[in-house]
Amino acid sequence: VTALRLSRESSAIAPGGWQLLPLRFHRFDTESTLLTNLVGEHVFVPTHQFLAVLDGTCSDQNMLAELRAKHLIQLPGERLPTELLAIKFRTRLRRLPDSTGLHMFVVTLRCEHTCRYCQVSRQSSAKTEYDMSEETASRALELAFRSPSPHLKIEFQGGEPLLNFPLVRWIVTRAKLLNQEHGKKLAFVIATNLALPDEEILDFCQNEDVYFSTSLDGPEELHNTNRRRPGQDSWEKTVTGIKQVQGRLGDDHVSALMTTTEASLQRPTEIIDTYAKLGLQHVFLRPISPYGFALRRRGGAGYDVARWLAFYEAGLDHIIELNRRGIPMVETYAAIVAKKIFTNNDPGYVDLTSPAGIGLGALGACSPRCKTTHSGSATYVTAATKTSCCQKSFSSHSKTRSH
Amino acid sequence: MSIDAEETQVSFDRVTVDLDALQRAAYAVADAMSVDITVAGDRFTCTLYPREHGTDPSALAHRMRTEVVDQTLRLRIAKETEPLRNLIFALAFSKTGLTEDEIQQ
Repeated sequence: VTALRLSRESSAIAPGGWQLLPLRFHRFDTESTLLTNLVGEHVFVPTHQFLAVLDGTCSDQNMLAELRAKHLIQLPGERLPTELLAIKFRTRLRRLPDSTGLHMFVVTLRCEHTCRYCQVSRQSSAKTEYDMSEETASRALELAFRSPSPHLKIEFQGGEPLLNFPLVRWIVTRAKLLNQEHGKKLAFVIATNLALPDEEILDFCQNEDVYFSTSLDGPEELHNTNRRRPGQDSWEKTVTGIKQVQGRLGDDHVSALMTTTEASLQRPTEIIDTYAKLGLQHVFLRPISPYGFALRRRGGAGYDVARWLAFYEAGLDHIIELNRRGIPMVETYAAIVAKKIFTNNDPGYVDLTSPAGIGLGALGACSPRCKTTHSGSATYVTAATKTSCCQKSFSSHSKTRSH
Repeated sequence: MSIDAEETQVSFDRVTVDLDALQRAAYAVADAMSVDITVAGDRFTCTLYPREHGTDPSALAHRMRTEVVDQTLRLRIAKETEPLRNLIFALAFSKTGLTEDEIQQ
């Protein structure tokens, strides 16, 4: 005990006996201040103590020890903290040299749904002139394989990409052929409403290991109000599609996300329970993307940040309760943010990266006729112009990472 | 300059506050107010225009003053830690193969 006491006393830091390391701060509330550093280490300190640390007058040894351990201060002449910070910083950015891993192909603007919140310049099912051509797809594939990334995720979007399934099949086949030379790890995802898959599509996707990402807004009546199609049977078809994919390709081959409309705000529990009943273990609670055509329509958000947060908190509480009861359920956005805050293993979610995900995280290819303001963090390339069609942000439907 | 009923002014000593800090603060509070910065003698004067009618002028002034203090501290920390920050970046990005010298090696 004596030795320990002596050791502790000898390591006491005298007033003014430290250097600040690069740090940021934010007044969290009237009493506490949040300090963070270059690599995301963080600590909450009483605001008056923070000022004492800045002024060199702090005498709270426990606090100084914690700040030193979190690499917010160091002793003069120390070299290890800066070396460790450099290693951690480099680790967080380790995917940067790989460049673009996520490549989105808007294979058609046609869709048989008329969702209230859709931001896409959707076209009716008959207008095939809004389909991507093989020539455009070929050029986009060439661009994708020029990426130094050892992983390529090719995501099919629309419109409803299954309305142009022949091109999806052509791209998958062509990509695998090209990859015999490149040897990259390929993944394919179809972002679909799952109203249209038939045996031929499911067979192909099973054989080629294609994943599905779909939209499920919650209970039947809510989903069908948001996501309209002839027959008002979107929910039934989507749920049937989810079960088919789960049965044929496996539970992990289909994921779903939801979009929150004003009609959703009072129903977070029912929405999440709909996912749980289908055996889905992830739900992504998302506000309406304030982009493109979504802003023009009657289904525009219709709620403010406070109402959205109340919905989100109620949903998160219910998810925590489900997990306590032994029903596994993850809220995707919370999981991404928690991973970013508490680990050095950045999930690479393109909408929340620094440097920004635009171009680096994701590239999209679309038809020259596309007038959509895409949402999220991608640069778009058209075959006709070979220039970016739009540089608004883009959300990957498969939602986690660029590869 | 006349002041409308809802506008309010706060002033800062040019010896203790940088224009940079004032501009950063004006940006940070832009959700609640727009800010006009003028210089007269040894003082900066900030005229605060609320975005919503009925906002308490003293609350606006309090928020602006708090934000200016924070931005001043941020500038001070950035200046004080700049050599270490550059050292960390240099260590992190060395041996990346991104510079010509390294490619030639």
